[in-house]
Amino acid sequence: MSERAVAVERLIKAFPHGEKPLVALQDVTLELQQGEFVCVVGASGSGKSTLLNVLAGLETASGGRFDVRGRVALMFQEAALFPWLTASQNVELALELRGVQGGKERRRIAHDLLERVHLLGFERKRPHELSGGMKQRVALARALAQDADVLLMDEPFGAVDAITRDLLHEELIRLWRASSLTILFVTHNAREAVRLGDRVLVFTSRPGRVAQEFKIDLPRPRSLDSPELAVVAGRITERLKQEMRPDGH
Amino acid sequence: MATEPVEHELEGGSATRSADGVAELEAESVPAIDRPNGLRRLWSWLWPKLAALALFIAAWQVVVWSGWRPDYVLPGPVPVFQRLAEDLSRSDFYVGVAVTLRRALVGYAIAIVIGSVVGLLVARVPIVRKAVGHAILGLQSMPSIAWLPLAILLFQQTEGAVLLVVILGASPAVATGLLAGVDQVPPLLVRVGHVMGARGLRLYRYVILPAALPGYVGGLKQGWAFAWRSLMAAEIINIIANQPSIGQQLQFAHDFADAEQLLALMIVIFFIGVVVDLAFGFADRAIRRRRGLLD
Repeated sequence: MSERAVAVERLIKAFPHGEKPLVALQDVTLELQQGEFVCVVGASGSGKSTLLNVLAGLETASGGRFDVRGRVALMFQEAALFPWLTASQNVELALELRGVQGGKERRRIAHDLLERVHLLGFERKRPHELSGGMKQRVALARALAQDADVLLMDEPFGAVDAITRDLLHEELIRLWRASSLTILFVTHNAREAVRLGDRVLVFTSRPGRVAQEFKIDLPRPRSLDSPELAVVAGRITERLKQEMRPDGH
Repeated sequence: MATEPVEHELEGGSATRSADGVAELEAESVPAIDRPNGLRRLWSWLWPKLAALALFIAAWQVVVWSGWRPDYVLPGPVPVFQRLAEDLSRSDFYVGVAVTLRRALVGYAIAIVIGSVVGLLVARVPIVRKAVGHAILGLQSMPSIAWLPLAILLFQQTEGAVLLVVILGASPAVATGLLAGVDQVPPLLVRVGHVMGARGLRLYRYVILPAALPGYVGGLKQGWAFAWRSLMAAEIINIIANQPSIGQQLQFAHDFADAEQLLALMIVIFFIGVVVDLAFGFADRAIRRRRGLLD
């Protein structure tokens, strides 16, 4: 059994909201082994993003425990690149903040990282000169530059077109398999979750809680169009719909 | 056609650089837009301004010809421009311009420092914002020349009084600009900075201040306008011995009923203001274009 990378135990997050606090996360418990790729699917507003924000240290938990081994990087739905920096400089800044000394060394590493996300030749472009998919590639390179052990991804490909997304999936899997990265990937798309994850966790809405876990045994590489994948995704979607019905059953 | 390579050099950051890069670029990135060449662009920028100027001078001449006021009160453009040319060939004229510009630069520089520090404090410390946030806006709408009587009481008829008025005129605008810039930084970028490990001062240095730059430049530009305005008012009222500033010469021209000199000086004042404003305009557009906020 490999080492545990993320452990979350009965995590609670509530926001002040009028008289009654709004409970975003209710007793969330989950574990990720090192090198595992786990997807969380849930409807909008089910607290998936809140979970990532708490794990990344952007928000404090209201109760429960969590433990993340090593460095954490977080990718958002928008690339959120710094518009005053070039693609390369965006990556270099992450390196600088991580403590990598020497501008030349940082440029060299940034060059390598951009090569890994297939963006050579675009180092000196500014974010507004790049397409949505390319921006997410830079964001991915920037996340890799943080030398994280755990990569949290909050619907990172939600805003790109289907074909670009498929390509980005392939590259993400390639990068993940070539590293020891542990990935927690949040999406509302069951097919995307099945395509990527070793396991898929279905989240309930309001409050967010892990309702069911699906182990995905499909062989890799997986294709979005394969019938096997569609069958599993269909079961997950069915489970999601159950959660979203007002009576809950 | 000789200007074309120069144009490409200028646009090197955004235009395609080499032929083999073109195919790759067109695949995914925004296509480069054809720009007219440099000389053409300069002309299309310049000619409406020249036309407006010509119309203004013509109207001025017509008013003079109409005999509304006698020549020695309202001279026409020709004697005024002759006088201006004469002034520009005199070396002591530049002594006056230098005095005024020195005051403007010193006062403006101090205003930038004060305005930036105050703006940052208001942006960063909630209690300071509650305490003086509105006062800064109020100060900005107060005509800074209203400070001059007090300034003269405090500093007598010295340059200190003039500088105080300039600083009080310009620094609220600088502070307001920086504050607006910081307030408009997208929260998502701040979160990204956090995740990347930038906290406290480093977050300001690497994320918030660069993101706030467009607003800050807007504040600097407005601060300059206020500084220049306040300086002219202060110089006209607060005459200092042996300091032949532009404002002082303007006042003397009035005292000696030298209308030609008066109008020539006004042209100089206008010209300096426009040149600085243009420089800010270019800086502002360059920053926005780099960030894709401008086509």
